Parts: sequence; structure tokens; C-alpha cells
Amino acid sequence: MSAGGTRGRPPSAAVSSELVAFVQSGCGVGLASAATDGTAVVGVGLGCRVRPGGVFRILVVRAPNSAFLDAVRRGAPVAVTFTATRNHESYQVKADRAELCDAASDDQPEIDRQQLLFRDGMVEIGYSPAQAEGYAPCDPNDLVAVEFVPARVFTQTPGPGAGAEVTR
Amino acid sequence: MTMLCVDSIRPALEGAIASLIATTDTDGIPNVSMISQVHYVDPERVALSYQFFNKTRANLLATRRAIVQVMDPDTLAQYRLSLHYEETRTDGPLFESMKAKLSGIASHHGVSDVFRLLGSDVFRVEAIEAVPGPVRQRPAPPRAMVAAARRSFEAMSACAELDELFDCVTLCMEREFGIRWSMVLVAEGDTGRFYTVSSRGYPTSGVGAEVGAGEGVIGVAAAFDTPIRIGHMTRDYRYGETVRDAARETGVLAADPRRIPFPGLGAPRSQVAIPVRSEGHVAAVLFAEDDTILRFGYGEEDALVLIATHLGLLMAKLTGAEDDTAEVTPFAGGPEAAGRLELRYFAFDQSVFLGNEYLIKGVAGAILWRLLTEHHATGRTEFTTRELRIDPALRVVSHSENIDARLILLRKRLEERCTCLRIERVGRGRIRLVVARGLDLQEPGDGKSVA
Repeated sequence: MSAGGTRGRPPSAAVSSELVAFVQSGCGVGLASAATDGTAVVGVGLGCRVRPGGVFRILVVRAPNSAFLDAVRRGAPVAVTFTATRNHESYQVKADRAELCDAASDDQPEIDRQQLLFRDGMVEIGYSPAQAEGYAPCDPNDLVAVEFVPARVFTQTPGPGAGAEVTR
Repeated sequence: MTMLCVDSIRPALEGAIASLIATTDTDGIPNVSMISQVHYVDPERVALSYQFFNKTRANLLATRRAIVQVMDPDTLAQYRLSLHYEETRTDGPLFESMKAKLSGIASHHGVSDVFRLLGSDVFRVEAIEAVPGPVRQRPAPPRAMVAAARRSFEAMSACAELDELFDCVTLCMEREFGIRWSMVLVAEGDTGRFYTVSSRGYPTSGVGAEVGAGEGVIGVAAAFDTPIRIGHMTRDYRYGETVRDAARETGVLAADPRRIPFPGLGAPRSQVAIPVRSEGHVAAVLFAEDDTILRFGYGEEDALVLIATHLGLLMAKLTGAEDDTAEVTPFAGGPEAAGRLELRYFAFDQSVFLGNEYLIKGVAGAILWRLLTEHHATGRTEFTTRELRIDPALRVVSHSENIDARLILLRKRLEERCTCLRIERVGRGRIRLVVARGLDLQEPGDGKSVA
């Protein structure tokens, strides 16, 4: 299932311990890659685990994200945006390619924890519990992991500085 | 399988839930971010809010392509829209509508200082894909909008007089659409200001309360001749009244005695304003508000636009309808009550005070003073709207000035403020002044007393 090679790279210097903590704090996870014609494909992730070596492991439900997963399978570059529900703090990471991996038994408890935080945050800013759950519906029987080492990190928090690259 | 079109997914375009946008650059490198608004434009187009020049915008300008993912807040259904960029609009109805809605969204999320609309990026929707996932059944709508509009049309068409029509509109908004708080405001000539002629649901009628040019959703809707709808209320579109009230409470402003308080909700969370076109210009505005978020959707907006269109046609039909053939008949009047009515007129703003209490100003104030002085001098009680319309002393300089609406305002103000003085309609284009006490008329500005 591996697309190969991604986990052996050194992590970007911009992946700080604060960013590692942030992406595992129950953020909204937006996904993008490129289709064969060069146009964008979009998807939604459930959460992120950061493995040793700075490997980002995004858990994704297959059925609603098939176009994104097809692009990853073909070796297309990926972009992932993490957004905190409560204050809209946001970062985008990018990688030249990613790998598809089977979901592991220890993924589920961590994703459950992050999803709970995410939904609490959504409810706190005014969404109904059903809307919070419906934003990124989880199907435990249809999970796959997307792994990559971020090559570049960008601030994405709304404002004039959005889009600036984080260099360290 | 039913083909999806933009009309069929409009609830997902309310901005209730933030959307995702993905683009690529010319090298195929993807970019993904949240976007505040995916706005319905027409059955083939949407518009996205352009707030900053960032990577998303650079990609859009370079490739003209994007894909957005939106969610229906009721069914939780998600859709992906493949978009082709056409143009950016930086003013006009679409821009103003999006600006108002974005301001509400930004205020709701506490980011008003950084969310400013720079442009409305218009896209043609090339494809819509339903995202696989759980979908809930849409809650049954509380009413059938078209049927409600039809019943409202019928009720409005049965009105024989303009004041009856205005009150009928606010009644229908409550009865047929469940809208608890509403108003009709009429244009004050060509000034851009509007004054309230009918309201429903508020503790005070606020008849005569003014909205300044471009102020709040009413002023913006009128200025740009486009419906303005906000689902998360924001300070940016609150009425100056609220700001002025706060300023007065803190002593920054002295109280203005020539002011009728705007009757609106103190803490509205949803508002909608629909311009009413009549005889080629925005003659009135239909306004509704609520204390819950996202109260008015596309369905309500469509229905209220129909109501406003019908109102405009009926206003043209009922305005200025005068019967010059009938003779003015003298009215003997009833017995005068004890005591005298002390009325003062200030020519600089045409305001009339009853004792020390502000009554009315502007064209309506001048009309009242003309009626009072002529009655005092000649005993005359009946007048025609035609003679008022052509009287140069009343400063009715604009053809769009609605004398009939001014008379409605004047009649309602007198009903609310004074039991000894009233105006009655006695036929098409004819009114009667009824004075139950002796008059003491003063014009302090000129240092003279009429009586």
C-alpha cells in the first residue's frame, strides 16, 4: 500500500514542538491534492498523529475522500490545513508526496479523543452537536492513514499575514 | 439520479458552516484553506469572498480553477463544487450583499477587525458532486412559502388605502411567514433617508422613526437596490440609534428632542431588508428581524422580494389617487373641549411641538402647520392632497416625495400623541382636520404668535 519514501526524509525545521502539539489538539483538518489534469481535489480528515521522525499521520475516511486518496496513491503532492475551532488559529503543511497506510488499532482511541475536542470546540462557537459531528463523520470500518513528512509550513490564521511561510 | 444544480443546494450556501477551498498553482502544487462565504449568485454561479491577497487568490488568478466543499446545516449533506473563475466585483449589489453577510459572520466569530471584503470573486459552477456520507432528512418547512406569498398578495390587493396596505404587509409577514418583528419604511424624497410608516411586534410603534442614508441593512438595501440579509447580527449594521443611545447614556451626546426612537430590537441576531421599487425608484423598504441566528434563509428572501414587488405596484396604484370632482364640504365639528392646545412650529426643520413634546418634523410637520394655520384663520377643516402637493411653502421639491405616506405618518403620530387633534380621510385624496380644543399657535423662530 505504500507509495514509498516519505518517512525517510528529515522533517522540516519549521515543524516545532508547538506545531506538533497544535495539530494533535482536535483541529479541523482540510486536505488537498492534485488530480491528473492538474486541478485541485479537496477532502476532510478526522485528525492527525505525529510519529517519531516528524511523520504526520492523517486519518481519513475512504468513501468521501476517494479523489484525494487516488491523488495520493498516484504520488501527487499534498497540502493539509489544521484549524483550531475556538480561535481560528490555522497552519498549512505541504509535502511533495504522501503514503497510504492501513489504519492501526491504536489510531482509533486517539482519533476519538481529537474528534471529541473538535466537536466540543464547534459547539462552543455555536454549531449544534449534530452539525459538529456531521462536519467530519467518522466510519471506523473505512479508515485509512495518509503519512508524510511536511516539507513546508505556512501560517493560515485569517488576517493579512495568512499564507506566510514559517521558516523555523 | 437527480442532477444537482446550484439552486438545489442553496441551504449549503448560507455560510452557516465554514467551507473549504482547494486550488493548485501552475506547477500543480495544492493549497487548501477555510473560506467564509460561498454565496449564491444565480442558477449557474457562486461568488467567493476575497478578503486577502494570499496563495489561494494567486492560484485562482493563475489557473482560474478551484474546488470548494460546502455543507448543508440542516441535512449535513456535503457537496463539492468545481469552479471556474469569471470576474471580481468590487462594488454593486452582489458585493454589498456579501459584505453585509461577511460582516455578520466575522462578528459572530470575533474577527471583525480582520474580515473585510475586498471583492466578490464570481465563478461558474462546472460540476457539483454529493460527498458520500450520512445525510439527515430535511426538517419539514414550517410553511409553504409560495402559498404564504399568494395569500399575502390576495390580502394586500384587497386594500383600498395606502395606510391599510402598509399595515396589511406587516400583518401578513407575521400571519403568513411567522415573522414577529417587521416594519415598512418609506423614502423621504431623494434624501436617501427612510421613515417608518408601519411596524409590528415592538412595544412602541416607532412611526416616524428615521433611518439615515446608507445606515444599517435598510440603508444599504435601499442604496444598492438589493436585498440585504444577515444571519449573525453585527455592530457594523446596527442603527445609529443604538450607538447614539449608548453615547447619550455616557453623556457624550445630549438628548435630541426632535427624534422618534427607532423601534427595532435591542439585540437582533438576524435581519433582512428588501427594497420596494415603485415607479422607477426605491420608494420603500420592507424590514424584518429576529432574536435568533440564521432566521431568514433564501426561501424567506425570495418570498419577501415577491411581497415587496407587489407592494411597489400597489403603492403606485394607491398613491396620489385623488378625486377632484367632489366638492369640499364644510365640517361643523363637535363641541370644543375645555382648555387650549398649545402648538409651536420651528421653520428651520419644520418641526411641530405639542406643548413641550416633540410631535413631527419635515414635510409632515409643515403639512400639519399649514392645516392648523389655515383652519385657525378661516375655519376650514377639509383639504385635498393635491393642494398640499403643489404648495411651494411645504418644500415638496421632489417628484418622488410621497405626500400620501407623509399623511399616514402624520395621522398615526397624532393618534399616538394627541387625543384632541386628528386627521381623517374623507375620500380619495381628501382629508379632514378635527380639532377638539381651541388652538394656540406659535412660531418662536419668527418671534410671532399666530393666535
